[in-house]
Amino acid sequence: MRTALAIARKELSIYFTTPWAYAVFTAMVAISSFFFMGLVQAFQQTQAWARSVGWNQLPPDMAAYRNLTDGVVVQLWGIILIITLFVAPFLSMRLFAEEKRNKTFELLMTTPVRPIELVLGKYLGGLGIISATLGLTLVFPLILSAFGASESGTVLEWPTVLLGYGGVLLWGATCMAVGMFISSLTESQMVAALLTFVVMLPWMLLRGLAQGVEEPLRSIIGYLSFDTQLQNLLRGVLDLKALVFFLSVILFSLLLTHRTVEAQRWA
Amino acid sequence: MPMIEVQHLTKRYRDRTAIDGLSFTVNEGEILGFLGPNGAGKSTTMKILTGFLPPSEGTARVAGFDVFEQPLEVKRRIGYLPETPPLYLEMTVRGYLKFVASLKRLPGRGLKAEVDRVAGLTGVTDVMDRVIQNLSKGYKQRVGIAQALLGSPPVLILDEPTEGLDPAQRAEVRALIKGLAGKHTLILSTHILPEVTMTCEKVLIINQGKIVAYDEIRQLATVHGQAEDVSLEEIFIKLTAA
Repeated sequence: MRTALAIARKELSIYFTTPWAYAVFTAMVAISSFFFMGLVQAFQQTQAWARSVGWNQLPPDMAAYRNLTDGVVVQLWGIILIITLFVAPFLSMRLFAEEKRNKTFELLMTTPVRPIELVLGKYLGGLGIISATLGLTLVFPLILSAFGASESGTVLEWPTVLLGYGGVLLWGATCMAVGMFISSLTESQMVAALLTFVVMLPWMLLRGLAQGVEEPLRSIIGYLSFDTQLQNLLRGVLDLKALVFFLSVILFSLLLTHRTVEAQRWA
Repeated sequence: MPMIEVQHLTKRYRDRTAIDGLSFTVNEGEILGFLGPNGAGKSTTMKILTGFLPPSEGTARVAGFDVFEQPLEVKRRIGYLPETPPLYLEMTVRGYLKFVASLKRLPGRGLKAEVDRVAGLTGVTDVMDRVIQNLSKGYKQRVGIAQALLGSPPVLILDEPTEGLDPAQRAEVRALIKGLAGKHTLILSTHILPEVTMTCEKVLIINQGKIVAYDEIRQLATVHGQAEDVSLEEIFIKLTAA
């Protein structure tokens, strides 16, 4: 286990000594703050409108704008999911592909490191960097709770906010696991990033893509879609089914990565 | 006692045979010079011995452990410098050596002393806190050697250790390697022939994946040369010309 931690630490230190982490952080913060401002503005407009005509005159789907939690944070988490989908492949692509291209994979494979330690170490490093990236977005609920106001007690319902954030983290962890597996298949980081994206995006949108198919199949496809699984978590509902679903995807990806590393011995 | 035993080792890549039925042994404390033209299969053999590649046929044993059956036991006993030194260019020399030491499971206590020891041996003490990317080729190569020496494993496999060094550095590395003899069992590949005569007792010459000569240097000269003073170079060219 100590070896796995050493590998994880090395991964993190390389992310932070190259411009990669900073570029990704900047992209994450810039894009999400852009959307955050849009959401806050929409929230203010709806509130002003409601004050002049009364909430019961507004269309029912505006009800989410009654409080900052549902009106801004939950929607922001939804947007951050999409940004993560674009950003995570750039973080996961180098995990194995870079080692293969730089011939350092030979070092890892000729020192007494078990494949399982290598995979876990790499994944822990990946988790660290994606958590750091997503951790930055916690600043938005903090801003709201510092400057926002509410008629009824607290500004934000923190349990809902944090559970939604947990969903975002789980999603980030899933992206990294799948991305790591794809990275272990190739020497080219660009191919790894692109392929990860090509796998994750349709998977995310599976439910929409399956609208046309017949019933039992449609439910199955809908169930497998990331989008369906994430919905409850984001709204702050602790959905055990979704938790199991994502953990299975992560575990399965780690298993596949392990097989790929092991396969080196049989090549 | 044989430290490295190789029997009928064969490696095929699809339709190309990289090495073909190699058999040799290296005794404890011996230095074996591994010679051959580029593409003869030197690196492939070394990759199999270190457990990076599996053989297609045949067996290889290091310190009595089969490289394929008990890879971890073998890896624990080998220090390996691949053809391209496996360096993380973004790390400092110290950070890199510490990382490799933890990969080799060296105990945390004494780790710093061990890193300093190999740095001293390979002459990289002055660049310990520099980023590897900014080092000259010679220093990079030496960091690669330092990495192999960490934990002083009983077997050292060095693939062209003097590659990219200037003549003065080459002499230093040769002296270093000679100093390792006795304590370590060494396999050393090179295509610089004087290197072999200066450092090794035994040579193994391969060509197109097959052994063409395997003997002590003195013996080779008498078997293949008409005169006593025939150089290794002449033998090499004669043997690999076919």
